[in-house]
Amino acid sequence: MLTLVIGGSASGKSEYAEAHVCTLPGSRIYLATMEPWDGECRARIARHRAARTHRNFTTIERYRDLEHLPLPPDSNVLLECLSNLLANERYGTPSRQADQVLESLIHLARQCRHLTVVTNEVFSGGTDYEGDTLAYLHQLAWLNRQLARRAERVVEVVCSLPNVLKGEGP
Amino acid sequence: MIFVTGPLFAGKREYICSALGWTEEDLARRAIWDVQDLAADAPDLEALAQDLSRHEVVIATEIGGGVVPTDPAQRQAREAAGRLSCLLAQRARRVIRVVCGLPQAMKGELL
Repeated sequence: MLTLVIGGSASGKSEYAEAHVCTLPGSRIYLATMEPWDGECRARIARHRAARTHRNFTTIERYRDLEHLPLPPDSNVLLECLSNLLANERYGTPSRQADQVLESLIHLARQCRHLTVVTNEVFSGGTDYEGDTLAYLHQLAWLNRQLARRAERVVEVVCSLPNVLKGEGP
Repeated sequence: MIFVTGPLFAGKREYICSALGWTEEDLARRAIWDVQDLAADAPDLEALAQDLSRHEVVIATEIGGGVVPTDPAQRQAREAAGRLSCLLAQRARRVIRVVCGLPQAMKGELL
């Protein structure tokens, strides 16, 4: 089973996704993809960790190469977030593109009971970007569409409230 | 309090005036808008949300949907605006999102 959660900056998407995973039976794994590059990243990671302490997630930090990550079959995995994962893969060594990231996510979804993927709404700020940004956005948007097609449930989070785009219920 | 959100120029204020039968003067007196601009400099977002909630209608433009800015101050401002919207939505009786002039009830019923 696959759930996709999308939202803008500080939209409450993480909180929504965590609460959603907590409604599922089985163990909970938080698959963190953000590499702690600097103080701001570390502060963000610490804030997210503190916010989910009461939810009994086992945190696994994994920045790329998800197809080689073993997971317990009864687990409910929350991957946070797809935009970081794609950037890590695309700008890492060796560089891997969206189609390979999709393969790794499909592999992940097959292994666990339920995969919830958090992704970012980063597509409403125009098209005037430098360097490789548009190509990255194109790949992220493609990944979002591929996952949405496969997901049972797709939810956009707006000011902490769910807008269900696919599937049933709140 | 009714919280209205949506993209820039989506018709948020027009919707409120039309749904509540308000004039622009009513709107100026009973509502506050562009509250996303107040978030960045607020020392306490909870206190700001509480203060804003005294208005009948609070309107915020969604600004968190672009690429994450490289400038730390812009990044912080966008996140503060997002958090403020979450706090306002929690306090609101109704949350309405307006997209190209069309209202969608996110919490409670449409007006």
